[in-house]
Parts: sequence; C-alpha cells; structure tokens
Amino acid sequence: MPYGIHELMVARVAAEVDGDGVVVMGSFTPLAYAAYMLAKLTHAPDAYLVGFDAVGMAPIPLSFTGAEAAAYKGAVARWGMLTEINSIHLSNHGGVEAVSSAQFDGRGAINLSAIGPFEAPKVRLPGGAGAAEVIKMYRKMVAYFPHHSPRTLVDRVDFVTGTRWKVGRAAREAAHLLPGPVVVVTNLAVLVKDDDDRPFRVESLHPGVAADEVVAATGFELEVGLHLPTTAEPTAEQLDLLRQRIDPLGTVKIDFVPARERLAYLKGILDAEWARAAGAAPAPARGRA
Amino acid sequence: MNKVVPLDALGELVADGDSVAVGGGWFSNHPMAAVRQLLRCGRRDLHAYTVVGSIDIDLLAGAGALGHLSFSMVTLEAFGLAPNVRRAIETGALPFTELTGLGLLVGLEAQGRGVPFLPYRGPFGSDIPQRYPDLYRTVSCPFTGEELTAMRAIQPDVAIVHALRADAEGNAQWDGTSGPDVEMAKAARRVIVTCEEVVSRAEIVASAHMTKVPGYYVTAVIEAPFGAHPTSHVPCYSSDPWQLLDYAAAAGSENFGAYVERLRTETEEAYQSRVLDDGRGDVLCSLAALSQPLATHESDLDLTEA
Repeated sequence: MPYGIHELMVARVAAEVDGDGVVVMGSFTPLAYAAYMLAKLTHAPDAYLVGFDAVGMAPIPLSFTGAEAAAYKGAVARWGMLTEINSIHLSNHGGVEAVSSAQFDGRGAINLSAIGPFEAPKVRLPGGAGAAEVIKMYRKMVAYFPHHSPRTLVDRVDFVTGTRWKVGRAAREAAHLLPGPVVVVTNLAVLVKDDDDRPFRVESLHPGVAADEVVAATGFELEVGLHLPTTAEPTAEQLDLLRQRIDPLGTVKIDFVPARERLAYLKGILDAEWARAAGAAPAPARGRA
Repeated sequence: MNKVVPLDALGELVADGDSVAVGGGWFSNHPMAAVRQLLRCGRRDLHAYTVVGSIDIDLLAGAGALGHLSFSMVTLEAFGLAPNVRRAIETGALPFTELTGLGLLVGLEAQGRGVPFLPYRGPFGSDIPQRYPDLYRTVSCPFTGEELTAMRAIQPDVAIVHALRADAEGNAQWDGTSGPDVEMAKAARRVIVTCEEVVSRAEIVASAHMTKVPGYYVTAVIEAPFGAHPTSHVPCYSSDPWQLLDYAAAAGSENFGAYVERLRTETEEAYQSRVLDDGRGDVLCSLAALSQPLATHESDLDLTEA
C-alpha cells in the first residue's frame, strides 16, 4: 500500500514502544502521539500512557480540540505535574520518550533553548519543559526529525537544554538510570547509540535512501556498516489504523508540509474539527461540567 | 469567611512588580480571564513564573506587563514559536530565567514543604544549572555521597490558578487537567482562584475527592465562567484553536498593539460576547463533550457506551 514518509516514521517510532514502564505525553507532538497510539493498538497493548494529566489513559484519536477531553475520559486517575514527575520520572518508571528538537548532536544532546548566544539569541526557542531532566531518565530515548539535515543533526548543539548524559549500560546503571539506547528516527534513516565511546551507527536506511546521502545530511560522525538493512515499511494494518482511527484528520503530516503551505493545511484540519462539532448534538450549558 | 470578589478586584490583589505564578499548561487551563484583567488594570513589571506557558505568557509579554520571565517552556505548539516572548528575549527587552521543568516544580515543592531547597537527580549535563547558581547547586547525599542537584525553594508572591469550582472559603476543585496549579498554590504567598463556578460548601462536600486546594491556602475566589478561554477547561470546553490562530497571526504582526488595546478597553463580558456568541462557545463545549477515546479490546464494553 502506498504510504507517506511520516507514516513510516510513525511506525518505526511505534516499534520502540513496549509495555515496560510509562509513556508520558507532553507537548502535543502529533508524530509521537500517533506512534504511542499505534503501539497501544497493535503490538503493545500493555503500554501505560499518561497525557494531559490523564493517567493510564486509553488510546485517543488525534485532534487539536478533542485530544485532551478524550484522554480525560479514558483515564484511570488524574494527577498534576508534580505528582507525575515524582511518580514517573524521578522514580525511574519512565519507559519510552519520543522528542524532537531544533538541534541534536552526536552525544545525544538536544537544544530547545536558543540558536546563537543564549542571552541574545538569533532565534529564541520554546525551552525544554521537562526534557532537560527526563531524556536521561527514560529507559529508551527516541528522537525524531522530519527533516534530516546538518542544520538539525549538528556536530555540537549551540546550547545543551538537556542530554542523554550517560549512554552505555554500565555508565547508566552506575548513575541509577535504566539502561537503554538512544534511537534517532528521521525521514532518511534510523540511527542508534548505545555506547558512550562510539558514535551513532546507521541501523537502517529508509527505502530508496543511500548511505552517503545520510552521512552528507548529518553533522556528527556516523558508523556506517557495509550491508545496511532497509527500514521496515508500514503494514497495511498500521496504515489503516493511522488513517481511519488514530489520525483521520492528518495532524501528523503538519510537520512535513512545506512551510508556506503549513497555515492552509492547519486551517483545513480546524475546518474539519469545526464541522464535526457544529453538526453534533446540542451542547451542554456553557461553562458547566 | 467569604473570599469571593469580582474579577474587577484583581488589580487590588496583584501589585506592579509582584512575582506571579500562572497556572495551567500548554493550551490547557490557563487563568486567561485573570490574565486579561491584569492587562485591563495596567499591571507592569510583573515577574511571571510558568512551567509551560502559551498564550497566557505571550500575551503578558506582548502587552508590556512583564519585567522578568521565569519559564521552562513557552510555546504556541502547532501555531508556532511564541512571537512576543521570542521578540522580547531576542531584542534583550525581557530579562529571563530559563528553568528546567522538573527543577521549577521541585523548587515549588520545596517552598510548599517549608524547606530552603530539595535534592533530586537533576539535569546533569544541561547547560542551564551553571547559569543560575542562585537556583541550582550540587549537594552530596550525607549517607551515600552521591552528588545530587539542590534546587532552591521558589516562592512567588501570588499564584493565579483556574479551577472547575470553588466555594466561598476557597476550597477548590479540579476534575480535568490541573497541571502545576496545586504546587503553585502551595508555594505562593497569596493564592487567587478563578473558577468556572462558585458553589456552596455542600456541593464541595458532596464531591470532596475532587478538592485539590483547600481553602486555607486561598486569598480570593473569582467566578470566571469560560475563564480559561481560549485555552481549555476540560471537561467543560475544549481549547479554541481558531482564536489561537488569530492570536498567533496578530502577535506576529505589526498590529499587535491594536489587539492588546481592544482587550484592555473591553470588559470580560464584552470579550466573551465577541468571541463566544453566535454559538461558538457551544461548539467548544460540544468538542469537549463529544471527544472520546478509541475503543480497544479491553475497553470495548465500557467505553463505547459512554
């Protein structure tokens, strides 16, 4: 079945999600959310999801207006931020976290703070929220980048908002961290690092991508094997779940459309969300539970 | 004790120069009616604290109400970088402290517990702590010698949070997302609770398991229906991405002064009738009411009937 690169990336990120530990959703990052839902509906029914303060939530369809309310309705508990960080991150219950950032480097460091000097930046970025602490704490760190380029995958980030800090098993265990790899999923390839003293290695190339293309698009050193496997393509079942149930509005693709088309694409999704609600049954009284 | 005051009284409860912790997170449950009121009463030089701010913080920055911003994230997510915060920091107009998200929460918890700092396994390897030695230091565990991050207690002058409902004593309840609201309330010198509805004590008693901030923390209660708009207050209403889109466009343009001026000069009632009438508010309520999780094998029986 024909598919988009965003769908391959969702499937590959989903493959990292398992039933071991908690998956926490922070910012509404559609690709990561879609991957968690896909995993939960396929190979990882025991994945424990927390999002919008909704603990143990059921999988939800992605939308800009309904995701939070859907998460609320399928949760077994509702916490606030402090209880979450105490009960998940700081107590080593974090399983898998998928993040993206403006810059990422070969140490596993992310920059969500500033391009250029920190105090007088060329571009002030949003900040890392909990990423500064938690990307080192999760058993697996997954970083995904819709546009694999040397501007994003850089030799050294301008500012370390957060970092994996310890990578190899022994170093992580000595630091009271769960051992697990850093997995990078881009629109070209999958890169993996599981040893502090060795660079990222190319784990697989996406269909039609050559190794030298990946090396040229990467600002840090890579280990490139002679015979690299091809990244698995999304299955018909996965594509059907993504298109029909998880993301019928197409929110994941928003990070893949060209910048000049992005606003129109976003408005198209919002029009569809409006139509869904405006055509619905009478609403409850305004502002009341 | 009756702590209920009108929204108009907010200006008497927050002074120029105060540090103000603003509740909510991302596009959920920011105390937006209070934010708009801070603009109306012309507050200046505020030191805002936010864990994950969005339109709340960007609007305060764009209106010139901030003298300092302490944050771990300010984002408009799909609608882009926060234009006013970005501009103010890039031009050097807004002094700021970029905190790590867990550090900020641990600092609030330390204050809430009445200790000067708390240790935790902090943001090792991050460039943030070394920039702020007044907030982040290292400390050795007295038992094992392990090196930990010491996060200094953070005490804002005021916390403003938006609840589902509260009684006149300030006993405040949340049903959906409460974000950082409880830890902010417990750390601040004064706490202002805005809420969708002021209810009787009997109603609070009947749903006591939902009370997250008890009244003895609370200075004032303000009834503000749709008080988180255009962010969400689940389960009552969803966020309003159409208004957020308008905001992002205005904040990124030369005409943002006019956007702020309109908010400053209209009452909250006039704002709400401008943005929520013609059924728009009902659509936001419908979106919250209609949205359901996906049915799965383990939830088929109970969720499809909900």
